[in-house]
Amino acid sequence: MLKPIFVLALITFFSVGAAVADICVRDDSGADVCLSKPAQRIIALSPGATELIYAAGGGDQVIAAVSYCDYPEAAKALPRVGSYNRFDQEAILAQKPDLLIAWIEGNPAEQLAKLKSLGLTIYYTQLNDFDDVSSSLERLGKLAGSEAQAKLAADKFRAGIAELEDRYSHSAPVTVFQQIWSNPLMTVNNEHIISEATRICGGVNVFGNLPNLSARIDNEAVLAADPEAIIAGGMGEENRDWLDEWLRFSGLTAVRRNNLFFIPPSTIQRPTPRLLEGTTLLCQHLETARGRR
Amino acid sequence: MAAVKTSRGAVPHFILPLSVLALLTLATLALAITTGSVSISNAELWQVLSGGGEPLHRTLVFELRLPRALSAFGAGGLLAVAGALMQVLLRNPLADPYILGLSGGAAVGALTSMLLGLSAAAVSGSAFIGAMVSAVTVFGLAHGTGSWTPTRLLLTGVVIASGWGAAITFMLAVSPSDQLPGMLYWLMGDLAYARSPWPALIVLGLISIIMLPLGRSLNVLARGQMQAAALGVSVRALEWTIYIAASLLTAFAVVTAGSIGFVGLIVPHMLRLVLGNDQRLILPAAALAGGALLTLADTLARTLIAPEQLPAGVITALIGVPTFLYLLHRSR
Repeated sequence: MLKPIFVLALITFFSVGAAVADICVRDDSGADVCLSKPAQRIIALSPGATELIYAAGGGDQVIAAVSYCDYPEAAKALPRVGSYNRFDQEAILAQKPDLLIAWIEGNPAEQLAKLKSLGLTIYYTQLNDFDDVSSSLERLGKLAGSEAQAKLAADKFRAGIAELEDRYSHSAPVTVFQQIWSNPLMTVNNEHIISEATRICGGVNVFGNLPNLSARIDNEAVLAADPEAIIAGGMGEENRDWLDEWLRFSGLTAVRRNNLFFIPPSTIQRPTPRLLEGTTLLCQHLETARGRR
Repeated sequence: MAAVKTSRGAVPHFILPLSVLALLTLATLALAITTGSVSISNAELWQVLSGGGEPLHRTLVFELRLPRALSAFGAGGLLAVAGALMQVLLRNPLADPYILGLSGGAAVGALTSMLLGLSAAAVSGSAFIGAMVSAVTVFGLAHGTGSWTPTRLLLTGVVIASGWGAAITFMLAVSPSDQLPGMLYWLMGDLAYARSPWPALIVLGLISIIMLPLGRSLNVLARGQMQAAALGVSVRALEWTIYIAASLLTAFAVVTAGSIGFVGLIVPHMLRLVLGNDQRLILPAAALAGGALLTLADTLARTLIAPEQLPAGVITALIGVPTFLYLLHRSR
């Protein structure tokens, strides 16, 4: 026969257990990710995931990342467990993580499934639009136990984007060619987050109706579309070579009006809170283009 | 395979096939400058060609379509001639311009400079250096201490090519994701990288002029080293000339358009099936037919699903495979 005090202890134990195990969020694969306590040992498996978890206030608990995780500065010093498309499962297990932040489109699904079957908790990310950025911040903040800071970051992002939208989205439309790569020349369609930024700034992506998210096109198509502005990144964060290549086509409206604008690629191509920075810059550039009519 | 024609009386017979191929070349060049994402009517094109026309049309024709069409012609011609020479040198029907590892060396050079974020000119330069490093290595090793037999040369080249292949796979595996499309398109072969058509065209012209007088000796060599030596051909000197010429041709082709497959292997065979195996005819015919095939393939590659682009190498195979199989079937 059980002693009453022991029964009481048991009841207390289970009720406390139930009360603590309620950190649960729904990830982008639609699964519920639950932790009994805020994650203490987090591994981020893509550069975007790394930026998000730092912005959500969980940076101190991140113990490892993958190659090319270069933002924020602190992430550069993290130990690496491989690259986003092929990671070292042993290195991941050896770190004894309590949370992996994965990237549905970029990480190898088989490797993640294996890690999951070994008992690791995985939060899957797949950010397709601006709303996903703020909601991911909040969800990751919850898992990392930094809800307050995450909410602050999410609110700042939402408010910043809303302000840009109010100010620019109804301005006179500017036709834009978004160049995301040179050699081969590549652009994106309207499904891409870059096109959402363009819409917010009152721009119209001239290749928005292409069937594929990112597409390889030729110079001739750009000449035919004759955009009012050309926006490009480049190799590295401050390299205008790609834009200078357009100067030889003096018939282009964008060239005649000098509307060749540079935006650091990491602020507009990665779905992270830095999109606010890149989008602000884009809006300013398109406003400059309106002034040059 | 048709009998080797070596009599002087064969020369007039060359005129008909070469004229047909020249006309075909002109037709593909005309198609290339008249088609694209922007449609230009014949009347507008005539205005452009006679020095007038809309500025946009002038830019399209003279700065985009014509240089690209000429680059495609140059690269295709270089590859087909290089392939024909390699098949004579190695006496192996499977030989193509890349079999001795040249394209692998060029690719390692090009991908390295892409990884370092260098300019397009530097990518072409390092591709050329890579191709030459590969050519000299294979030559040195195959030549080595013993005698140079086609088998030894072939084995050395194939092994070096596998080595480059491993290096390319390694580089692709460690590259950042945003670099990958550019690298893969370079490896598939793509005329969007062509900068100026002149190096390819000049090298094609020069080497064709150098090789043409050697046509008779090539015909003899194609039958075997022993026969050639017995008939008074200076075999070693001739083989070195072929090797150097084929290497330069391939290197310039790869620098112009990346490693476009198929043209160098199939075009010489197609021509032999139709025209017989006389190198005096096959070499100039290969220059024209290879050039025309790649010009046509590139025009289709950039217009089939415009504005999206396909790699030209896919189209060369799509056009070439059925044509080749048909010719092979017919020749039985």
